[in-house]
Amino acid sequence: MRPRHDDGVRVITFENVSKIYEPNIKGLENVSVHIERGEFCFLVGHSGSGKSTFIRLLLKEFEPNEGSITVAGRNLQRMRRSALPYHRRNIGCVFQDFKLLPNKTVADNVAYSLRVTGQAARSIRRKVPEILQLVGLGDKMYNYPDELSAGQQQRVSVARAFVNHPSLLVADEPTGNLDPDTSVGIMQLLYRINRTGTTVLMATHDREMVDKMRKRVIALEDGCVIRDEDKGLYR
Amino acid sequence: MPFRFFFNEAVNSLVRNWVMSIAAIVTVLVSMFILGVGTFIFINLQTATKAVKGKLEIELFIDSSASPEEIDRLGEQIDAMPEVRELRFISKDDAMEIMRERLKGSEEMLEAVSGNPLPASYQIVLKEPEKIEAVASSLYGDPIVDKTVRSTLADEMDSSDNYMVVSQGEGIKFDQKTYLRIDEEILRVSGDPQGDRVPVMRGQSGTETAPHTASATIYKVDGIKTGGETTERVLVATKYLLAGGSGFVALLAVASVLLISNTIRLSIFARRREVEIMRLVGATNSFIRWPFIIEGMTTGMLGATGALGLVLLVEYFFVKNVVTQMPFLGAETVPLLWLVGLIVGGGILLGSIGSSLALRRFLRI
Ligand SMILES: Nc1ncnc2c1ncn2[C@@H]1O[C@H](COP(=O)(O)OP(=O)(O)OP(=O)(O)O)[C@@H](O)[C@H]1O
Ligand SMILES: [Mg+2]
Repeated sequence: MRPRHDDGVRVITFENVSKIYEPNIKGLENVSVHIERGEFCFLVGHSGSGKSTFIRLLLKEFEPNEGSITVAGRNLQRMRRSALPYHRRNIGCVFQDFKLLPNKTVADNVAYSLRVTGQAARSIRRKVPEILQLVGLGDKMYNYPDELSAGQQQRVSVARAFVNHPSLLVADEPTGNLDPDTSVGIMQLLYRINRTGTTVLMATHDREMVDKMRKRVIALEDGCVIRDEDKGLYR
Repeated sequence: MPFRFFFNEAVNSLVRNWVMSIAAIVTVLVSMFILGVGTFIFINLQTATKAVKGKLEIELFIDSSASPEEIDRLGEQIDAMPEVRELRFISKDDAMEIMRERLKGSEEMLEAVSGNPLPASYQIVLKEPEKIEAVASSLYGDPIVDKTVRSTLADEMDSSDNYMVVSQGEGIKFDQKTYLRIDEEILRVSGDPQGDRVPVMRGQSGTETAPHTASATIYKVDGIKTGGETTERVLVATKYLLAGGSGFVALLAVASVLLISNTIRLSIFARRREVEIMRLVGATNSFIRWPFIIEGMTTGMLGATGALGLVLLVEYFFVKNVVTQMPFLGAETVPLLWLVGLIVGGGILLGSIGSSLALRRFLRI
């Protein structure tokens, strides 16, 4: 088991969390996980082991049946509904299916998460090209998502997740739809984001990637944490 | 709030969903059009009934042999009646004065009249015009009420023409002899029995044709004259029209709200992915809702603006064609600001009600 760094600042705390879907499907069972600020962390496991459930609990898409979840010092069970949007703004998310808006340009897709936070149009105009440059899509600003390759679309989605500079970035199988080379590109992007001090939590099936990165690995099986080690392997 | 962003989102969605949008816009248009035209009709009926109501007076012509005491007694008796709102006494001299005023420019007619043939009268205004017949008949039997006076029905004449108008409400009545004399005088002055100045006066029942000219009709009223029946009918008709019109507009308003609500529901459905993403990136509920509300309001406003244009057109043609043909209708147009407020405000209101309905039912956040 992984030693605890109790001196660090915790970004994510799962304390004996269980989630049971209706009617009686186990999502997570008695999961306790702590993730410190600035960590890069893989969440691995077979299909159906509960990785997405973990991430959706983190986003407070639904409540756990038992246990408590704290994100950035805020207890999600005690959080009021009206505070939920502000909680979400603090977390950038990337998904396997990109979740881009097909009828908005790349720039507008990225600008979206800035608009939502009520940022001024001027700062939006400044930040969007900046971040698109960073993910290597400076020349695709006015293209629509379906004019981009899958890897490029995922870059847009990473840009959107990071443009707010959230303290936590979660990615649910961001490379699941991509070929190995493109996956490496996305992986490097996430790594660079992590280097800026952002905590990154990434659920993945990608054995090769996990083994190459040698970062912390939390392995789930059947809703339970079966392994949690620093510089771990997929196994 | 980034209003421009919301507005763009709303318009995009409106255009993307154009079939439903147009259906909703047309419904709003029809309902607001009917509301507008209804208001136009109503306002005109109001002015018309107000004018008629003003004439809803009983004139009691007093026999010239009555003593001042008798006249006072009758006055007090009338004043004591609970139905009476207003009572005026017009003396013979007052009547003559009013007559003179009326005939300004053709005073020569009065020269044909020797002395003051005009009777004194009481003018009675009632609280409820519906009671007019009852009150009139209760006063009819009074001994000093002159039952020989003949009068004309002023409602059917037009003061703007050069008729010798013997108008109700102004205390000018002639006994038959005087009337005929003045009538003859007019004939003499105009020199043309078929000419403009020949008074054409029609009465209701009991009509008598004056002996000297086929076109002059005088009717006998036995000293009391009321504008009862027609007015009553107009009042009742107005009431029904108002009720029916309001009901119809309400029905159409409900239809508009439901259609707008359905349009917004479809656009929520079309944008459910977008809504999901908005939630994920931390949009507040109001941020998510605004574009839909604006979409509904825009739908309402577009329909209302169309309706406003149509109503103005109807008013224009009505005033231009109908009123110039029949000037006595004297159509009044609804004040523009009112109309804009009523129709456009109504349209926007329908739109926002429709979209909030849809949001409440289909966008539970
Ligand atoms: N909305 C839901 N309703 C009911 N059961 C669900 C729901 N979502 C997930 N589950 C079940 O919960 C368990 C965990 O699912 P989860 O999506 O967390 O797995 P996962 O590790 O993300 O799998 P994958 O690698 O295929 O994405 C599975 O058995 C799944 O069938
Ligand atoms: Mg999953």
